Amino acid sequence: MTDTAGTGGETGSKKVLGLFALAMINVAAVLSIRNFPSMAIYGWSCIGWYIIGAVLFLIPISLAGAELATGWPEGGGVYAWVKQAFGEKGGFTALFCEWSNNLVWFPTVLSFIASTLAFALTPALATSPYYMFGVMMIAFWGTTAIAYFGEEASTKFGNTGVILGSIIPAILIIVLGVWWIGSGQALVLPPLSLGAMVPTINVDTLPFFATIILLFAGMEMAGFHALETRNPQRDFPRAMALSAAIIVICTVLATLAIAMVIPAGQLNLASGVMQAIQYFFNAAHMPGLVAPMAVLITLGGVVSLAAWLIGPAKGLGIVAEEGNMPPMFDRTNKYGAPVAVLVMQALIGSLISLLYVFLPSVNQAYWILSAMTVELLCIVYILVFASVIKLRYSQPDKPRSFTIPGGMAGVWIVGGLGLFGTILAFVVGLMPPSFFASDGLAYVLSVLLGTFLLAVPPLVFLKFKKPGWQRSASAKEVPP
Amino acid sequence: MHERRYILARTLREEHGLALFLILMSQIPCALIIVLSVEVPYSTVSGVPVKNAIRAAGVTVTSTKNVTWNLPRATGGRTCVLSDAAGNNITISTQSFDSDDSRDAAIQMYNANPIGRGRPAGSLIVPGSQLVYITPAGSEIIKEIGAEPVSRPGLK
Repeated sequence: MTDTAGTGGETGSKKVLGLFALAMINVAAVLSIRNFPSMAIYGWSCIGWYIIGAVLFLIPISLAGAELATGWPEGGGVYAWVKQAFGEKGGFTALFCEWSNNLVWFPTVLSFIASTLAFALTPALATSPYYMFGVMMIAFWGTTAIAYFGEEASTKFGNTGVILGSIIPAILIIVLGVWWIGSGQALVLPPLSLGAMVPTINVDTLPFFATIILLFAGMEMAGFHALETRNPQRDFPRAMALSAAIIVICTVLATLAIAMVIPAGQLNLASGVMQAIQYFFNAAHMPGLVAPMAVLITLGGVVSLAAWLIGPAKGLGIVAEEGNMPPMFDRTNKYGAPVAVLVMQALIGSLISLLYVFLPSVNQAYWILSAMTVELLCIVYILVFASVIKLRYSQPDKPRSFTIPGGMAGVWIVGGLGLFGTILAFVVGLMPPSFFASDGLAYVLSVLLGTFLLAVPPLVFLKFKKPGWQRSASAKEVPP
Repeated sequence: MHERRYILARTLREEHGLALFLILMSQIPCALIIVLSVEVPYSTVSGVPVKNAIRAAGVTVTSTKNVTWNLPRATGGRTCVLSDAAGNNITISTQSFDSDDSRDAAIQMYNANPIGRGRPAGSLIVPGSQLVYITPAGSEIIKEIGAEPVSRPGLK
């Protein structure tokens, strides 16, 4: 893997992405089997929770993303969109928040990958920090290596992986659920009623409310790949619609399938998705499918990692290309991959993973870190929703092949719902969980300070910005 | 020539400085929180700590059941459904583990299963050799139990 191209994207961007590939990027980023057992605990009321998530986030972000991506189909995704509305500081901050929240999230998804794979081999392996760290690093650097080979390789891997690792397992769970009902087996859910679908919303469940809002986070991920899209004006809105449909259908039906088969008490105890899957397949008298499912779900985890690892890194590459970061961050290889950002990201992620695995029993510390990821993501989406509203005023004549229906009222309703949901999630994300009750202020300050530290570097980079960084960028734009 | 070299060297230093700054900024919050957190020592906890605490807090136990989680080297525990005077219900599950490795692996597995990009469902408390898993996470009942001194030993 020699890096030969130096700085810049001399090779340009190959237009390799069509409707299906774009949709699969979003599906990979959002659809996760591990959500199903956790949501199945809520029985029929999971439908109500999903509706809340869809109304306050999924539908607004899909519509806003479609309008922004067709209006400004430049590289950088949220960076390009927010920059148009709030300038470079806003755009860079939005992108950096998306990228830095990944750094804290990486150990989570990597340990999910390692522990799920252990289930296919020997579950006891998950108790070995050396096994965990080894598999985490193979998955992390392996995914980085795939990203190194550019968009074409990533797309092939992503398309195959998301079908095998996310969609097929979800369909399998749904089919087994249908078989369970059809074969007259006992259902653990009470009969369906409208009241049963209404979730309980009170102070106790408010923290869960924030989680639900961000359940569908990642729908903007395809926007990072605008430069490689053949026909962004036509394909982005369709990809948003297709991916949203796949995600909602798979998520709701698979969650209900699990809820109908596994008693909620068992799901409470099953802290891992594979424990629930094992119970599910044992109940269906198909224990032989547990290990293959573990392998597929592991693949699904890797594909999800790849989607989140590549998208924001590409965005950061664009930021560097525009001269907002030193040229050393602007190194791309012959495949057009932002190799410097990818390597730096992998190094930072590896260090955090090392701390995560080898400093054990840091449960409360990790809780604070995960709260930071929620806050950082909320900042991203608050800026995106604010941008879609502002750009209707500041650039009303900019051609957009897709616009949020309903004129200004429509954009205010969609943007307003999204803003309401994400601002509420931000505020609720600061609420200390019950085990921090005695030290609530310290918790809030820790989360706010950590969020600030992870969000502030763009302002420092822009403060030190040099004209030379821009020269390096513009030199690349000269055609060969 | 000399001046150009000086400017180049200074620019390079600044670039490296900014790269280092970026790496440090991304590590500081994580490292500080993780390193400054007090590790929960593995120690055998006698009895059922939750049971002792809820008795002291005046909360009603609606049902109890012995269970062993399907996790490596889990050695058993109990699931209780609790209600308070205000009508709030929560489920509390305790589980013992045979070593700090298996207990910490269970903690990692819990943290590795967030919903979406958020946090895992419920909350997890680590008293010594046991894990206590509670849903819903923000319940008032937990605050009532948490206020009781009997639940404090072993908790960070």
